Amino acid sequence: MISRFLFLIAFLFALCLGSAGAQTDQEVEARKTALDVAGAFTNDGFKLRDGHWAGAVKPGDHALIAVNLYAGNHYWFSAGANETAKKIGVDVYDENGRQLVAENYNAGEKAAAGFSPVTSGQYFISLNLLEGAASSLCLVYSYK
Amino acid sequence: MSVPALRLAIALLTILPAMAAPEPAQLTPNQVAQAIKTDTLTIPTPGELFAALAKPGKIDWPSQYRGPMPMTYRNRAQIALNLGGLIADGFIAVEAQDAQQVKNIGGDIIKMAKALGVSENILSRGNSINEFAENNDWGVLQEELEATQNEVKASMQSHRDQDLVILVSLGGWIRGTQVVSDAILKNFDGNTAKVLRQPALVNFIQLKVDGISPELRNEPLVKDVTSQLAVIQKLVSLPSGNAPTLDDVRKINEAVTKLMGEIQNKGDVK
Repeated sequence: MISRFLFLIAFLFALCLGSAGAQTDQEVEARKTALDVAGAFTNDGFKLRDGHWAGAVKPGDHALIAVNLYAGNHYWFSAGANETAKKIGVDVYDENGRQLVAENYNAGEKAAAGFSPVTSGQYFISLNLLEGAASSLCLVYSYK
Repeated sequence: MSVPALRLAIALLTILPAMAAPEPAQLTPNQVAQAIKTDTLTIPTPGELFAALAKPGKIDWPSQYRGPMPMTYRNRAQIALNLGGLIADGFIAVEAQDAQQVKNIGGDIIKMAKALGVSENILSRGNSINEFAENNDWGVLQEELEATQNEVKASMQSHRDQDLVILVSLGGWIRGTQVVSDAILKNFDGNTAKVLRQPALVNFIQLKVDGISPELRNEPLVKDVTSQLAVIQKLVSLPSGNAPTLDDVRKINEAVTKLMGEIQNKGDVK
C-alpha cells in the first residue's frame, strides 16, 4: 500500500519537475496504466524501478528498449498504453536478438512479461502495438 | 492402414511438431543496433545487483561498509562520481537493514547533492529516507534511494549539468561491482559470479562518457576513469553461459577497487 502511494507521489513529482522530459498527455496516460499493471507485482514483493520509457508507436509496429539484467533475479516488464490502443504485447529477446519464452499477461491496453535470466547481460524488451490506432506506450519494470 | 494414409500420417508427424513449436522470432541486427537505451532503464541500480547476489545465501553486508567519505571535494566530476558511490552505499545499508547507517548515508547524499547545486527539493528526499529507515521499510527504501538518484540527475539536467549525470551512474556501478566482486571472492561460487558479466552495460556507459564535453573529458580524474573503464570492460566481457573463475573475479575486484580508490582519494583534480 505504502509502495503504491509512493509510486503515485513519485509519478506526480516527476510530472511537476518535468524530469522525464516533456511528456504528452497520451504518454502520461500510458505511464499511469503501466504503473497500474506493475502495482500488482509490487504486492508480490517486486521492487519497481523508478525509471520508465514512454513514446509513440504506430499500428503493427513496436518499440525496442535495451535493459541489462542479472542472472538470479526475476523480472516483470509492465506496459501500458493510452486508450487508442486496443491490444498491446510485451516480448523479451536475448542479446543476440532471439525471442525468449516468458510468462505473459495481456489485457487490452495493458500487458506484461515475466522472465528470469540465467545469464547476466543485455536483453531487449519489445512493446508491441497489436491492435488499435497509433498510440503512446510506456514501459516500467520490477525485480526481486 | 493404406499407403496413402500412412504417408499422410508421416507427413503430419513431420509437420505438426514444427507447427506446435514455431521458430522464435529473431530481431535483425539493425533493430538491435537501433534499440532505445536510456540512463534510467538501461543502467540497472546497485539494488538490482545486490538482490541477485543475495539469492544464493546470506551476505555479510556490514563487512562491505567503508569509512566516512570526505565532504570537501571541490571538483564537480569527482563529486558526481562519489555521489553515485554513496548511493550504492545506501543500497548496501538497506540490504544490511541497518537504519542508522541508512540515515548517515542519506545525510551524506544530501550534503553531496547540495554541493552540486541540485534542487532544494532533494531535502525532502532526505527526510523520507530517515522516516523509512526509522520504520524499517526496507523495500520502500530501495525505491526511495533510486528515486533520490533520479531526482538528483533530473536536477542536474535542468541545471545544464547533464554531462555529470552519467558520472553518477558510473560511480554507482563501480562501487556496486566492487562490493559484489568482494563478496563473491569471500565465498566463491561460479554461478553467483555470473552477475559480473555485463559487457553491454559497460559499453553503454563508456559511450556516454565519450559523449561528454571535451573540457570535462580532459579532466585528470575523468581521463583516468575512462582509460581504466576500457580495461574493466574487457574483464566483464565474459563468454555467455560460462561461469567466471575465481581468478576472473579477483581481476575484476582489483580493477574496480583501484578505480574506486582514485575516485575517492585523488587530490585536488582541477
